[in-house]
Amino acid sequence: MDLIAGILHTSLLAGGVLALAALGEVLAERVGVVNLGVEGLMALGAISGIAAVVTTRSPTAGFALALAVGFMVGMVFAAITVYLRANQVLCGLALTLMGTGFAATVGKAYSGIPAPATFTGVEIPYLSSIPLIGQVLFTQNVLVYLIYIILPVMLHFLMFRTRHGLNLRAVGENPAAADAAGIAVQRIRFWYVTAGAALAAGAGAYLTLAFVPSWSEGVVAGRGWIAVALVIFAGYRPLNAVLAALLFGVITSLGFVGQARNWPIAAPVLSMLPYLGTIAFIVVPVVAWHRMRQAMAAPAALGIPYYRDLR
Amino acid sequence: MSDLRHLSRRRFLNLGAAAGSSLLLPPGLIRSAHAAAPLPAIAEKDAVIAFGHTGPVTDEGWTWSHDQGMKAVKAAFPQVKTVFVESIPYSADATRTYRQFVSENACMVFATSNYGDFLYDVAKRSPKVAFYECDGRNPLDNLSTYYVAHWYPTYVTGVAAGLMSKSGKLGYVASFPVPSVFSGTNAFLMGARSVNPNATMQVITINSWFDPQAATQAGTALLDNGCDLLFGIMDEAGYLQVAEKRGAKAVMWNTDIRRYGPKAYISSIVIDFKQYYVGEVKKRLEGTWTPSSTILPMGAGVDRDAWGESVPEDMRKQADAVREKILGGWSPFVGEIKDAKGNVKVASGKRMSETELYNWDWPIAGISGL
Repeated sequence: MDLIAGILHTSLLAGGVLALAALGEVLAERVGVVNLGVEGLMALGAISGIAAVVTTRSPTAGFALALAVGFMVGMVFAAITVYLRANQVLCGLALTLMGTGFAATVGKAYSGIPAPATFTGVEIPYLSSIPLIGQVLFTQNVLVYLIYIILPVMLHFLMFRTRHGLNLRAVGENPAAADAAGIAVQRIRFWYVTAGAALAAGAGAYLTLAFVPSWSEGVVAGRGWIAVALVIFAGYRPLNAVLAALLFGVITSLGFVGQARNWPIAAPVLSMLPYLGTIAFIVVPVVAWHRMRQAMAAPAALGIPYYRDLR
Repeated sequence: MSDLRHLSRRRFLNLGAAAGSSLLLPPGLIRSAHAAAPLPAIAEKDAVIAFGHTGPVTDEGWTWSHDQGMKAVKAAFPQVKTVFVESIPYSADATRTYRQFVSENACMVFATSNYGDFLYDVAKRSPKVAFYECDGRNPLDNLSTYYVAHWYPTYVTGVAAGLMSKSGKLGYVASFPVPSVFSGTNAFLMGARSVNPNATMQVITINSWFDPQAATQAGTALLDNGCDLLFGIMDEAGYLQVAEKRGAKAVMWNTDIRRYGPKAYISSIVIDFKQYYVGEVKKRLEGTWTPSSTILPMGAGVDRDAWGESVPEDMRKQADAVREKILGGWSPFVGEIKDAKGNVKVASGKRMSETELYNWDWPIAGISGL
């Protein structure tokens, strides 16, 4: 297979996990809530996905169950952080610890069972015959199209082209003003945080249903945290988040492809690439986005619970 | 860097937690162990036998195999009480866990990975307790070390791999540059080259024993670049699933995991500590226990797994003939052997000793990326 096609192929697979989780985090952070529970939600989604697919043999059912589990756990998290106004950072960390621990406990029954069915490639006519990249880009599984094209475009349209999108961004920027303008701040926060949690769990299911088709303890391996970093790099924008995830996928694959092709770079340096990438993702926005501070900045009310009676 | 290469497979993990302190063993620890008198006998109903594991017993790999050994002990000596702790970190928590075992009256403590000083601390204060360190290198008066001679079955599966691979390009998913990895790559390629002298091996290091996502990507990258057969040293089945999906072949480690990729599966380097554990517990109960250093040979602790369904009959026979030869005392690891830079490392006709094989720390010619 051609070099570029090979890199794209592994990048798309690896980046998909991050892209979906990052989209979920964009939803939560845009309405002003930091959700550091992504790692735990992904673990819960991963085990739900495999549990459902082992029982029903349908990857769609697995993905649906993961979304449902993420939705329910997300409702609990949102209720605590939005309505009870508990500290978002602590609740997020608690969710991560609880999610990974609970998934590991439930997962004991499912470790060592390969997924009996996975999402398989769907060939898009005409597009898949484009030379070089057609085979790679347009013979992927349904989730890849959903994650890279359908979902980000929809979310972008919703956030930046509709009045509802303006409302939800206002909730993240200045909840008091939004409240005064008649927007139901707490309700919007609650539902978007919940939806974001569902997507994070979906990312976990993508992992066990399309990428590494089996469950084992620790399968998420810190990708939830990388997704959180990507959101900052992407300036809290859905399209950027997906591109950033793909870029991160490319960086990781470069490490492997470089080793496989014996590039004259020491293997340890190539293995460092993802970590160097993570640092770059944190540093670049601070330095390079300087001029675009307005557009790429975090929502002004991010992480701050909203009290109407304090105004 | 050269110091790192002398690290063993599990010891490497100590580095992170202990910041290398485990390497600097105080001279007092290195002494001959055979002078000690046997520990006194103990009644079966009073015996408590403890296991400290590095991973979860459900890992389908390293720790699972040790857990099977514990179950065999329980079956052989039903009145013995067994206890175990999973996922012990390489830190002072390990010392605490092993001390806890002693205070629960354990008469034998098995550390199924090399916890080094964290274990020696406890062992030195509890002279009446028999300790074990898997992949350890420093027996004490009351501490035995044990490991497996995995390079022989690796050579045998390498022969099968050389016969099965059409391109002669083998891929290897490595964890860290440690002796278990070097002896794995080297033995495998030597086996393959015994039937296909042009075989080569490409290695990708992923810096983990357990990272299914990274192993999947590494396996994909290797197959994309012309390899058609994968080997590695992972505690999970990631690259086997890649091989199955892509119509390639794979050789695995630890246990029989063919259900993850029945068509791709050639064999595994399977480990089995049942017989060893039962034998050692018997000695302790009878009062004949003295410390020892054991490398379990092929056929009694480590072996190839039953061949996968896609391995043709004639190839099985050819590889198994080599296995028989090794069981009969023949060694494939005889000079002349050159390293990847072309230097002669083992002189013509010289046979590598078990210790040299255990501490192998350079890649042979034909291996790139390590």
